[in-house]
Amino acid sequence: MIREPPAFFHRGPSPLARLTFFTLAAIAVMIADHRFRALDAVRLSLSVLAHPIEELAAMPAQALGRAADFFTTQDQLLRENRELRAKVLEHAAQAQEALLLRAEEEHLLGMAAGRSRYADKGLIAEVLYTARNPFTRKIVVDKGLTNGIQAGMPVIDGAGVVGQVTSVGTFTSEVTLVTEKGQSVPVMLVRNGLRAIAVGAGKDGAIDIPFMPASADVQDGDLFVTSGIDGTYPPGLTVAKVASVEKNAAYMFARIVARPAAGVDNHRYVLMLPLAPAPPRPETREEEARKPASRANPRPRREGAAGALR
Amino acid sequence: MRSADLTPVARDVMKLPASVGLVFASLVAAYLFSVLPWSGRWLLARPDLVLLVLVFWTLHEPRSVGQGIAFAMGLLVDVGDSMLLGEHAFAYVLAVYGAQVLRVRILSFRLGEQTLHVLGLFIVSACATLLLNLLLGEDFPGFAFFVSPVLTALAWAPVSWVLYSSAVRRRREDAR
Repeated sequence: MIREPPAFFHRGPSPLARLTFFTLAAIAVMIADHRFRALDAVRLSLSVLAHPIEELAAMPAQALGRAADFFTTQDQLLRENRELRAKVLEHAAQAQEALLLRAEEEHLLGMAAGRSRYADKGLIAEVLYTARNPFTRKIVVDKGLTNGIQAGMPVIDGAGVVGQVTSVGTFTSEVTLVTEKGQSVPVMLVRNGLRAIAVGAGKDGAIDIPFMPASADVQDGDLFVTSGIDGTYPPGLTVAKVASVEKNAAYMFARIVARPAAGVDNHRYVLMLPLAPAPPRPETREEEARKPASRANPRPRREGAAGALR
Repeated sequence: MRSADLTPVARDVMKLPASVGLVFASLVAAYLFSVLPWSGRWLLARPDLVLLVLVFWTLHEPRSVGQGIAFAMGLLVDVGDSMLLGEHAFAYVLAVYGAQVLRVRILSFRLGEQTLHVLGLFIVSACATLLLNLLLGEDFPGFAFFVSPVLTALAWAPVSWVLYSSAVRRRREDAR
């Protein structure tokens, strides 16, 4: 049994009062973070505070990796080099074609140079570690605000889409993988141009394609690429390969399970692509903006605020 | 507690407080352990040394470590683990509250029985995290999730021996 201490030993509020206070504080913090994303600054400054410790903790694994690199045999290196050279030659033809296609695209659509729908250049980042959160699928990479990373940037590897930047720290950023529950990517079937949405299944190595009618022409082994209609992912990046299609007349929709194309869980380097240029604003907005220009001091418009919150 | 038994429950009533440096260093070391590159199944089973150290200092230094420090450490762990801010803070505050309430009782036992008591605290704390995440719509990560509190409790005896003996050594040095 706990007895109350005498008045002259009092040490502030009782444990239960403190518990109530801190529980309410924790709930307030959670709501502020979850609903309003209001605490990104707090998160950022705490992450700066914890950064040296994280660096220290990453050291043993990095040293192991370096030691493993050191002991790679020459035979292995030579073989890898041969394979890579073959791959470069394979890709060279495609790259030259792509240059031509892009020039044609710009010419045909009368676009200003550099406004292509296709991804231009990216930033190579090293994967530091898997986010230590057993409930989600995220990785942390070694590029952050100081490298110009923005939330929303798509991230790919050699085989396809890995995910999207969801939170940016000063020196690192978090990438939510396409397999994360509820992480959706607008996709298109390569074979017949059917549009769909790929949604992470919340399990490692599985992506769902929900809401496809049972009559849809989808087969095992079909490839889904990004359709680019969301303005986030450039079109044409491989997302997933259909693993199983289950059509049951009892349900309106087919049950389609696909495997992510990228090595979502096992890559060391990824490419972070710049955000697609924002689509042109509707005419009415432009006119509205022009009209009040005669006013003494028009309020600055907060462009890109929606993009930053994504 | 029997009423006729007049032996002091805590044998170290008149002790000097442990140094702030030791408390701080142990918390930093525990955080360092928790941010090692854990992944996959290892991540689920990762013992939560930060919580362990917090509970230890709550039991042994109730005047300097309590729910406020637990809250702050929880926020730091939330940032490190890229969780929703406040999840760990809530779980830690809950466990530390339990430790505060049960402090006299737990300290009257030896390490073996203490382990069982703190296991209960750790499981409550893990359940709080799990419930919060289920409420947020995440999937149940599997029963391996409960390996972590058990491993944390198993680490209780060695960690508290190390911390306790270093606190006592400092006390002896100061006494000289």
